[in-house]
Amino acid sequence: MPRTSQKKFEEIVKRFVELKDTSELMIDLAYSALLLNSRELAEEVQKLEEYVDKLHTEFELQVLTSGFKKEEAKGFLGLIRLGVVTEKIADAAAQIAEVVLRGLEPHPVLKLAIEEAEETITYVQVNENSPLANKFLKDVKIPEETGMWVLAIKRGEKCIRPKPDTKIQVGDTLIASGYAEGEEDLKKLAAP
Amino acid sequence: MQSFEKIEYKPIPVRDLLREMKNLSELMIDLAYSAALFNDRDLAEDVLELERRIDTLAYQLEMVTMIAARDAEDAEALVSVSKVASATDKISDAAADIAAIVTQNIGVHPIVSEIFERVEERLTKAKVQENSILVGKKIGELELAPRMGVDIIAIYREKDWIINPKGTEKIHAGDVLIARGTSEGLKELKALCEGKLDKLED
Repeated sequence: MPRTSQKKFEEIVKRFVELKDTSELMIDLAYSALLLNSRELAEEVQKLEEYVDKLHTEFELQVLTSGFKKEEAKGFLGLIRLGVVTEKIADAAAQIAEVVLRGLEPHPVLKLAIEEAEETITYVQVNENSPLANKFLKDVKIPEETGMWVLAIKRGEKCIRPKPDTKIQVGDTLIASGYAEGEEDLKKLAAP
Repeated sequence: MQSFEKIEYKPIPVRDLLREMKNLSELMIDLAYSAALFNDRDLAEDVLELERRIDTLAYQLEMVTMIAARDAEDAEALVSVSKVASATDKISDAAADIAAIVTQNIGVHPIVSEIFERVEERLTKAKVQENSILVGKKIGELELAPRMGVDIIAIYREKDWIINPKGTEKIHAGDVLIARGTSEGLKELKALCEGKLDKLED
């Protein structure tokens, strides 16, 4: 495959990876919103849903304008379908979040079914004095230090699904959940 | 065309039905992406089978919640349950759509998999043979993650799924393990399952 084509491909796949990660992040956040009856998180999910719609449109346009050859078309059809699926997943996550936004008290059975010991949710912004700044998530051991689990990282308009090799940047907002005792520890770590 | 069997009411707790739907739907997504990106027909078939299982669970859950609602107040409380259940059902449908890319021979361009290999971990499944050294061992004591960068995310045992098995779970001969990790580590795990490798490296 010629180099220009390879490059186009990389761009498209990069966008798809973002779609995939965002849609999966939304599921995690939606269940947490339900578990904690958190309007704030549920609104985050709704915002992400709009973001995914936008991203998905851009992704499709990018595929359509790439001018790939006939024999490559089938491989692209697969990719387009994958894109559609991420959008469906995002919709399902938004549906879960909607329960919270409609002010319906989530039934206690939901808590039992989701089975995660989350107690509280906290938002902390990482400042330049933080030992977390410019470190990989796997190296800073936030759960061990604070008992808090990072659900998502907000960076500007984006919301990132945390992976071991995600690098924390100054200005990132960490959305974390865990036992209330850990909240202060996390705040001290992020913004000393 | 797929044949549809009659689904009878069973008095299963809502909690159990919903928990299984949620866990299976999440497993399905992981399996489905792996199937599509690495063109793995076998994994794709598993996803389609799980989708049928979730459909059955969804019917049962709907029946159970209908019976549980005696008045308006109950109905208001339970609607959250049925909404969430239908969302997990949608997620499982989405996973089945991904699997269909493989079973319908559409496939994803190999370059996509190549690029993905660099950013994402992949999944594999492996059947534990009688002569494997894993038989009878607890998952926790194997220390697969530090040793070879592999995590067992599910076990298929006697037509049942154990999702996110605990460290105390013992591995049986005949188990099918679903694991996530680096391709090197997964190769090693596969060899261990098949009895081709008889010691764990440090």
